[in-house]
Amino acid sequence: MALLSAVTALMSALLLVQGQRASEHQLKAVFLFNFAQFVEWPAVAAQDPRTPLLIGILGDDPFGPFLDETVRGEHLGLRPIEVRRYSELKDIAGCNILFISRSETERVGPIFAALQHRAILTVSDGEDFAKRGGMIQFVNDKNRIRLRINLEAAQAANVTISSKLLRVAEIVRTPKR
Amino acid sequence: MAIRDWPIKRKLTVILLLISGLVLLLTSAAFVTYQVITFRQTMRNNLATRARILAANSTAALAFANEADATEILAALKYDPHMIAGALYLADGRVLATYPAAAAADLIPAAPQPDGNRFEEGRLVAFTPVAQGENARLGTLFIASDTQAVSDAIRLSAIIAIVVLAIAMLAAYALAAALQGRISAPILALAETATAASTRQDYSVRAPKFGEDELGMLTDAFNQMLGRIEEQKKELQQHAKILEQRVAERTGELEKRAAELQAANSELDAFAYSVSHDLRAPLRSIDGFSQVLLEDYATQLGDAGRDSLQRVRAASQRMATLIDDLLKLARVTRAEMRTEQVDLSGMAREVVAEIQRTAADHQVEFVIAHGLEAQGDSRLLRVVLDNLLRNGWKYTGKRPQPRVEFTAINENGGRVFVIKDNGAGFDMRYADKLFGVFQRLHSAAEFEGTGVGLATVRRIINRHGGRIWAQGAVDQGASFYFTL
Repeated sequence: MALLSAVTALMSALLLVQGQRASEHQLKAVFLFNFAQFVEWPAVAAQDPRTPLLIGILGDDPFGPFLDETVRGEHLGLRPIEVRRYSELKDIAGCNILFISRSETERVGPIFAALQHRAILTVSDGEDFAKRGGMIQFVNDKNRIRLRINLEAAQAANVTISSKLLRVAEIVRTPKR
Repeated sequence: MAIRDWPIKRKLTVILLLISGLVLLLTSAAFVTYQVITFRQTMRNNLATRARILAANSTAALAFANEADATEILAALKYDPHMIAGALYLADGRVLATYPAAAAADLIPAAPQPDGNRFEEGRLVAFTPVAQGENARLGTLFIASDTQAVSDAIRLSAIIAIVVLAIAMLAAYALAAALQGRISAPILALAETATAASTRQDYSVRAPKFGEDELGMLTDAFNQMLGRIEEQKKELQQHAKILEQRVAERTGELEKRAAELQAANSELDAFAYSVSHDLRAPLRSIDGFSQVLLEDYATQLGDAGRDSLQRVRAASQRMATLIDDLLKLARVTRAEMRTEQVDLSGMAREVVAEIQRTAADHQVEFVIAHGLEAQGDSRLLRVVLDNLLRNGWKYTGKRPQPRVEFTAINENGGRVFVIKDNGAGFDMRYADKLFGVFQRLHSAAEFEGTGVGLATVRRIINRHGGRIWAQGAVDQGASFYFTL
């Protein structure tokens, strides 16, 4: 509860300055953590129920300390939540949620190709991320953060997104070539 | 009317109604209370369930701070007209969305309150945590419902209770009115029988019996009592009859005896009268011829002969007096009574005057009270006064200051006449012999007399229904008392 209240206090403090960069990234960090509650990954046989749930960041970390603070001590069921930072695509292993930084926007094509058929929820705030094959994109809209989801991409990666999450998001498709 | 004076029927009915009324009232109160409590509980449970369902649907909206989605979820509350307010609070306590969308400020608490549901300010409110599964809390859901349903439920329960109460009381009254008779009827019958028995003195009535309970026993006992009284009354009447019969028998016997006695008496009187009357003729002859002998043959008889003849004459004259007295006595008994007002004082004075005139040698002081009167036969009463006054005169013959008084005293509410002298008196031992025929306490030599006078007096007094008695002592004088 102490943690919860700390998080609450932090969030309220940051939400007051929503629209500013810091609070924007703070909110995105919370959303990133919340995704874990509304997404299901395919079960891995003989997996330890205490296996950590990994949230990875590819490229520059825009969150600063916020993401670490948000997930500290939190669990999804029995699973603790850990944050990993990757600079190279090849480093990614056992990741559940991957935030692709704006610094990697130019490389999303090769990244998607590399991650194809791997059950990793890809998230980014880059332009047209969802349309280009990413699963969830943060969209800034009048000082609010909206979600844009590419359901097909998620289904292709065998990642199940809760209908509740879909309710609060805008669904987009990858344009057919 | 005081309660204790109520008829037993009303008492029983009222008692039964009071008891059933109280029981029904308590039962109805329990029913209504149970209804209300149950209903409130149900309402809270329903609200809590609704809140949990809404909370489960609100997780994503809160997790991703989606105001539009939150408002849409809350808008579903409009399908229940009793839901008056709702709100979703973010984890930091800020309001994300409200119902109605433009809710008045006082309808929605500014910050979430402790979790749970409760009645406050005429509404039922619920605060429910919002979390996705077992995970961290995402925020708080608030919904509020009016308590119209509760008051509706209370009203319905109360109406049902009142209707049931009224019907039950009517039924209880009907039953009480019908059943109280089982207890009151035997008592009333008993009371009616008792009244009949005591007012008409008719002990042949019997109380009807209704059953074998205590009242039946009471009725039996009462009827037995009546039976015994009736028997005893019959016995008493029989005894009275026997007694009356006996009295009549005895009275008859007595009357017969009295008649016999009367007959014997009058026979005796007639006999005495005729004897006395018939005795006077030979006596007159004895006296007359003795006188002839004394006048015509005086010289031949000598002194001794003349003396003897004188004695014969004296004896025959005394005998004539005796016979006269006896005749008088007999006449007193036979004479017819003529009752009138008699002036005894005047009559006594006449008698005294006569005595003083005929016996000038012995003067006696007579004191006669004024205004002595009585009802009676004047001729017979004169005989009484003559005898008694003459007796007084006679027995004071040897006194230096002879005195005879005639007065009256009042004794036991009746008049008693007294003739009192200061003469020779008599011994009280012989008082009862004074009034017998030929009974004399003094010799003829001492005081002359035949011994018939007082007997005559007593007969006259008795014929008047009066009483005569005497008091005296030797040489102390005598008093004669009589009533009429």
